[in-house]
Amino acid sequence: MLAPHTPKQNHLLAALPAADYERLLSHLELVPLELGWALYESGSQQGYVYFPTASIVSLLYVMHDGSSAEIAIVGNEGVVGIALFMGGETTPSRAVVQSAGYAFRLKGSLLKGEFERGGPLQYLLLRYTQALITQMAQTAVCNRHHTVEQQLCRWLLLSLDRLPSSELTMTQELIANMLGVRREGVTEAAGKLQAAGLIHYSRGKITVLDRPKLEARVCECYAVVKRESDRLLSRKTAIVDQLS
Amino acid sequence: MRQSNRESAGHVARRASIENSLLAAVPRKEYRRLLAGLEPVTLTFGEVLYEPGETIRHVYFPGASLVSLLTLVDGHLGLEVGLIGREGMVGIPLVLGHNVSSVRALVQGSGTAMRMASARFRKEFRLSLPLQQELYRYTHTLMAQISQTAACNRFHVVEARLARWLLMTHDRVKSDQFRMTHEFLGHMLGVRRVGVTKAAQALQKRKLISYSRGDIIVLDHRGLEAAACQCYEVVKDMHDGAQAGYAMRKMRISAAA
Repeated sequence: MLAPHTPKQNHLLAALPAADYERLLSHLELVPLELGWALYESGSQQGYVYFPTASIVSLLYVMHDGSSAEIAIVGNEGVVGIALFMGGETTPSRAVVQSAGYAFRLKGSLLKGEFERGGPLQYLLLRYTQALITQMAQTAVCNRHHTVEQQLCRWLLLSLDRLPSSELTMTQELIANMLGVRREGVTEAAGKLQAAGLIHYSRGKITVLDRPKLEARVCECYAVVKRESDRLLSRKTAIVDQLS
Repeated sequence: MRQSNRESAGHVARRASIENSLLAAVPRKEYRRLLAGLEPVTLTFGEVLYEPGETIRHVYFPGASLVSLLTLVDGHLGLEVGLIGREGMVGIPLVLGHNVSSVRALVQGSGTAMRMASARFRKEFRLSLPLQQELYRYTHTLMAQISQTAACNRFHVVEARLARWLLMTHDRVKSDQFRMTHEFLGHMLGVRRVGVTKAAQALQKRKLISYSRGDIIVLDHRGLEAAACQCYEVVKDMHDGAQAGYAMRKMRISAAA
């Protein structure tokens, strides 16, 4: 059913001019991302960066007492491992697979070298970083002011935009951890959405049935993040061509 | 006449700019070139530097001033997601190849800053590798701060967050007394005014602050530290760490020269 895996399923990699893409290609390694697997722990050194193709990775900030809150999600629009090229020695967040799937990974040292060339890849990575900052800031304010149901809708829509299918492989427990609320809160919110025929939830799989209705229920935070991502990343091919 | 004006402005700039750690970390030769495009300004409490969706006209390197980044929702509710002082720069989207702000940048502490027009900044940024490296690294620190703030807002009670916020301000304004309205604090902490009132009353009852009609007096800094969440220490370490980092890299650069 699924097309064979290719790095072009990641939008950042797909936007690279042919010459830059070819140079990276032999170094890109396909890895399966299992549900709940931690790509990085907070405070650790990063050996690889990951370009998700059909998976969702959640970035979580971990407090001293061990509790954590999601600050952003990354899927096929982006890359996990910003710290590597931004020059931060370690990452302050934990990166956990929230919807199982695949990613292509690249050695950190290689990416750093590519970034320092200052070409199209650098340009794309920086613009992606700006989109990520917007997502982080909006997630913070959304967590503060909006209901669990609204947050769940935002999370589902952002995830859908970052996946090739309308099905998420995940658990309610993971959602609860991520939204920083109790499991019952998520069960209740997901139950409401299911009763209204918007989603179908069963055995660790969430399928979105009615996207327009989900969009009608979500808070403005979804649109803010989407608009910024679209503006920064959708015309990237044209911009990169201009650059090269 | 024109020449002497430029020189005196340059002289003031040279003294003021040392206040900002990012500028201080740039090698002298490059710094001299930057200086020609920098203009010393005084930022005043309540001044809005950027609105969300607006084109960025200037970047700012705060000296004694302090600038708050706010995300707004539903037209009136807000939340502070970042705080920029002498360790940083306001206008990070330009570093990332974008000229529009996604947040409101609001002056939270009056004081000096150096500013540069966006077009000039883009040009200087392209030319200076050390400036690029410092600013990428700073951007990463700012992202860490945004994440940390998000988590703090999620888990810590208003009273502890108010205590942290007052401490952060107290550390920077270098005065025991400052003005903050309930509305302003509500925006910063992402709570309704009544929530601010309750938290301020609780701190007042414990004799940590005195609060009346927007005038805040810090009575017991140590006590406030005990009342604040751990995030006060975390952010303080982040800022201090960033400043120590600049100083160390600067030493390495001068040792190599």
